[in-house]
Amino acid sequence: MIIDWYTIIFQIINFLILVFLLRHFLYGPIIKSMDEREQKILQREKTAEDRKKEAEEEILAYRHKNEELEETKEEIMASAHKEVEQEKNRLLDEARHDVDETRKRWQADLEREKETFINELRRRIGRQACLVARRCLSDLADARLEELTWSQFLKKLAGLPDEDRERLRSALADGEGRVTLHSAFATGEKQMKELKTALAELLPSRDDQMEVVARSEPDLICGLELESGGYRVAWNMDSYLQDVEEQILEELDQTISIEGDGTEDKGEVPENDRPAKEK
Amino acid sequence: MTINPDTIVYFEWGWFKINATILFSWIVIFLLTFGSWLVTRKLTADGPLSRWQNLLEVLVITINNQIREVSRQEPGPYLPFVGTLFIYIAISNILAIVPGFNPPTSSLSTTAALAICVFIAVPAFGIGRQGMLQYLKQYIKPTFFMLPFNIIGELSRTLALAVRLYGNMMSGTVIVAILLTITPLIFPIIMQALGLLTGLIQAYIFAILAMVYIASASQVHKEIEKKGEK
Repeated sequence: MIIDWYTIIFQIINFLILVFLLRHFLYGPIIKSMDEREQKILQREKTAEDRKKEAEEEILAYRHKNEELEETKEEIMASAHKEVEQEKNRLLDEARHDVDETRKRWQADLEREKETFINELRRRIGRQACLVARRCLSDLADARLEELTWSQFLKKLAGLPDEDRERLRSALADGEGRVTLHSAFATGEKQMKELKTALAELLPSRDDQMEVVARSEPDLICGLELESGGYRVAWNMDSYLQDVEEQILEELDQTISIEGDGTEDKGEVPENDRPAKEK
Repeated sequence: MTINPDTIVYFEWGWFKINATILFSWIVIFLLTFGSWLVTRKLTADGPLSRWQNLLEVLVITINNQIREVSRQEPGPYLPFVGTLFIYIAISNILAIVPGFNPPTSSLSTTAALAICVFIAVPAFGIGRQGMLQYLKQYIKPTFFMLPFNIIGELSRTLALAVRLYGNMMSGTVIVAILLTITPLIFPIIMQALGLLTGLIQAYIFAILAMVYIASASQVHKEIEKKGEK
């Protein structure tokens, strides 16, 4: 008998036991580990996919940002250019202004210096001219000139206008009738008499109270001066000389202004004024 | 000459006896279980795989793919049964090359036992998948008159399964035994090698046929589902 039922049953049991054992020791763990691996791989793929997506999004974001940056850069550059231009213009203006200021100040200084110099020059020239005139006149001053001067003075006194007479009168009243005569020459008796007569003619009401004091004053070039209580009547060469001086200075001014117009921009002292400064 | 390992009895106590078939089955079972345990106790789901794990994975994946191809269903529920059939038969047949080893598959008792397992498993899976009524309806298709033929077919294919495997395995042993008496040198080795090939092929055929039967028993379910959908 090749079929042994005992063995068959035993083998069936054996086989079922083997199925159970292999299920427990082989298929279960293997399948489980494979599934786990599959899951992990899927997860990894998913993670990779997610990361890729993220990276792509990042790339897009960065690209966008870059573009924005480019735009802003251009804007910033443009505004910076503009600002720089404005700043440059402002600085240039400032510098120009400063230069102008400096120049003006400089010119003003120069002008002032020139003026000072010219004034000085004027004074010197006037003084010099007057000195010359004075010297001449004092050299020429003799008895005849004295007489002429005297008669001129008397004539002026006699020809005083009513207004001046009134003033002189009130001045006499203030000065209690005291009259001082300043003279460049020594005053003689005759001349004093003539003066008193003239004053008496001029102011008839006061001739009795009048007291005339003569005082020598060599500074009055060929001149006479009557003073009473702050009022003054004078005739002397000084006034003529002053006129002369004024005229000379005027002439000089004109000359300087004409020359100054030509040399003002250069800010230089006129060439022909320089030697004058050394005088 | 003993060609039936059932007759080799190593231990006997009353009705309980241990013959060569049972003993060598146990050896195979022990080897398989112990080997599986050795490999699977330190499985890794990540990182580099050990070559043994890799081997077992390839084996399991291959069996799964075969089941999927044949049944066109997910292999999960069938894997332990069909896979064990294949592995058990294959290992038994391969170990036949070891001198002194009597492959349990060369005993008709073993093959019959396996065939009976399939015989039981087919309706078990069929009923499990589609219910008792649907499964039983299968026997009266296309007409009621086909019932006896269906039942005969069921039985005969179980018998065929058992005898096919037994015949092939026994023949291998017998051929080697005969050849040893005629040409005791080199030639039996070639036959042994051929026996290995035959053994593997038989293991494959047995497992695939079992799967086909099981699949055919649960295939109807799908058709019904399709009809139901319509």
